[in-house]
Amino acid sequence: MSIFAQLQDAIATTLNVAPEKISETTSADNLTAWDSLGHVNLMMAIEQTFDIYLEVEDFSKLTSVEAILAYLDSRDIR
Amino acid sequence: MTKPIPIDSTLQACSRPELRALVSRVSDRLNVMWAQKLVAHCATLEPEEGSLRIGIVRSFTSELLDPWLKLAAALQGLGIDIYHAPYGLSLQEAEPDSGLVSHAPDVTVLLLDCESVHPAFNAPLVEHDADTQRQVADVVLDRLCSILERFRSQPIGHMVLALLPARIGPALGTFDAQSERSQARWWSDLKGRIAACLRTSMRAASLLDLDELLLDIGRSHFFDRRLWYSARFPFAPRAAFEVATRIVEVGVLTKRPKAKVIALDADNTLWGGIIGEDGIEGIALGPDYPGNCYLDFQRRLLDLEQRGFVLALCSKNNAADVEHVLSSHPHQLIKDHHFVAKRVNWLDKATNLRELADELNLGLSSFVFVDDSAHEIAAVRRLLPEVEAVQMPHEPLDVPTALEHVARLQTLSLTAEDQSKTGMYIAERERRSHKARFGQDAGALGDYLSSLDMRMQVVYDSAAHVGRLAQLTQKTNQFNLTTRRRDEQQLADLIAAQDWLVAHFSLTDIFGDSGIVGLALVRRLDDAAAELDSFLMSCRVIGRTAEQAFLETLLRKLKQEGVRTFFADYLPTSKNGLVADFLPKQGFSRRADGRHERRLDQGPAVSLAAKSPIVVTESNGAPFSRKTD
Repeated sequence: MSIFAQLQDAIATTLNVAPEKISETTSADNLTAWDSLGHVNLMMAIEQTFDIYLEVEDFSKLTSVEAILAYLDSRDIR
Repeated sequence: MTKPIPIDSTLQACSRPELRALVSRVSDRLNVMWAQKLVAHCATLEPEEGSLRIGIVRSFTSELLDPWLKLAAALQGLGIDIYHAPYGLSLQEAEPDSGLVSHAPDVTVLLLDCESVHPAFNAPLVEHDADTQRQVADVVLDRLCSILERFRSQPIGHMVLALLPARIGPALGTFDAQSERSQARWWSDLKGRIAACLRTSMRAASLLDLDELLLDIGRSHFFDRRLWYSARFPFAPRAAFEVATRIVEVGVLTKRPKAKVIALDADNTLWGGIIGEDGIEGIALGPDYPGNCYLDFQRRLLDLEQRGFVLALCSKNNAADVEHVLSSHPHQLIKDHHFVAKRVNWLDKATNLRELADELNLGLSSFVFVDDSAHEIAAVRRLLPEVEAVQMPHEPLDVPTALEHVARLQTLSLTAEDQSKTGMYIAERERRSHKARFGQDAGALGDYLSSLDMRMQVVYDSAAHVGRLAQLTQKTNQFNLTTRRRDEQQLADLIAAQDWLVAHFSLTDIFGDSGIVGLALVRRLDDAAAELDSFLMSCRVIGRTAEQAFLETLLRKLKQEGVRTFFADYLPTSKNGLVADFLPKQGFSRRADGRHERRLDQGPAVSLAAKSPIVVTESNGAPFSRKTD
């Protein structure tokens, strides 16, 4: 499964939305379910999905699919 | 630590109980995504059986508990509807028109961090000497109890107080335990006083001791500092799931039928191995592995007996083999006298469970059945769906905690009657065999009853046992004329009210003390009339003419108080057919409007039936008169 597909699955499951609704341009600004509480849950889900540890400082930066993919790439998760 | 299983294997569970068992083994690795997946998996297994309404009043973020509450509820087959009060400890939520009250919760949780209860928690407690520390505790206790009372005055279901444990160790570090100003000791004392306040002066209120959970999980796994400092949510996933599980447990205990009996298999349940094959020397039970796992399980069963559950044996075996272990195995902790009933034979378990239910005069929904065989468990689940069937784990290391995740084996209250239940059931068994000796002749029943040397104590308007009285109204289904349920507060109000008479009785005989087993609630209508609002008796004392002695004592009392006409009702339910003709038999006549009536001014108040075999003593309460205002 591609990194995007894994992320799509994590976001869809955590925020309880259909996977089709998650695209490369999805962000907290254009997905209602991605609110501040959903965001915290999503950070936990991403940690588990990709087996990484996120710093508190990262939480506020990772508010879009694009940002998360870039972050994962920077951690050599491709 | 027990053997880890892959988290994906939870999705292979085919039933909710199986899923619960698997989830408890991966609970250290769950996250929100898995919580959602498991909720979805649960929905494919079995339909929900009811729904739970939860209210949360909190001083920190609680919304992040939602996925965990949903999971905990789904694992119990419940839907869930959660209301979070506005952020901060909002006392407006304790007003009648609040969002909390209109949510009509079954369970309301007060989830508070100590700093929000009182500013004293912001300064080092150890700067004070013991006296000042005590004063600080007094102030905190006062503040907390007044908050709790305000909430308790509203219809918000069962109330649960959960105080967040300290996020870091005590101010004095390792020396704290040794210091006379110990913070840990102060906190533990204070918690004890908070619990006492809940126990003695508040109905339907429990303390959920999160420190106990913290011990289970460990501080570093309990808190997720990232979430606390960035989102003011304290719990790491495991703690969130455990907290949610405890909250849902309270809902299960208030909504589902009460479990009363733990029916146990013997082989690979009470001990490791098979007695018929391995022999008394060969079974695993004793100080060495794996026998010590079964020993700890037996200890736990004796703990459960203290919670008010009784043990029964339900085993496919030669009776003599099992008897031999119970009487002669040097490490067997549970002896013959701990079992209120036994079925050790080669019949199927469902038949034996039905017979046990008959013998104990209990419904099958009061049974929790424990067996190691997947086949037996499946058969009981299919044939007797009311019975909660729990499969023993195969790994000996999992055996001691096999029943820790059965929600219905928790208890929200405990009375003296609960703790001595086994003795009462065993006395009943002895009573039955004593009765059998009198045969079936015409006078046999009378002879048997007089041989019991029964003594009844009738007590009026005493608030000393409201807990037990409330329990009686809530649990008695068979010998109950009107099946009106009341909680402790309502009963306390009736006891205090001048126009109500609250009478209860306890009964002793040569086999023991039954404790408080009967209750009558009488309301004064006017100078000359009263009505029987409730009349009920525990099934434990059925068949000993106690109902008649109690009613006659009550009638005599009412007559003395000037009552001339006494009204009563029988409200039929699916379970109280036993008392359908109780009132006519006791000299009440049925009126055109369906009520029953008995005149107390014509002839003696007491019926002229044969002299009662029960000696009654009464303790007087306040005079019983018409409401004056």
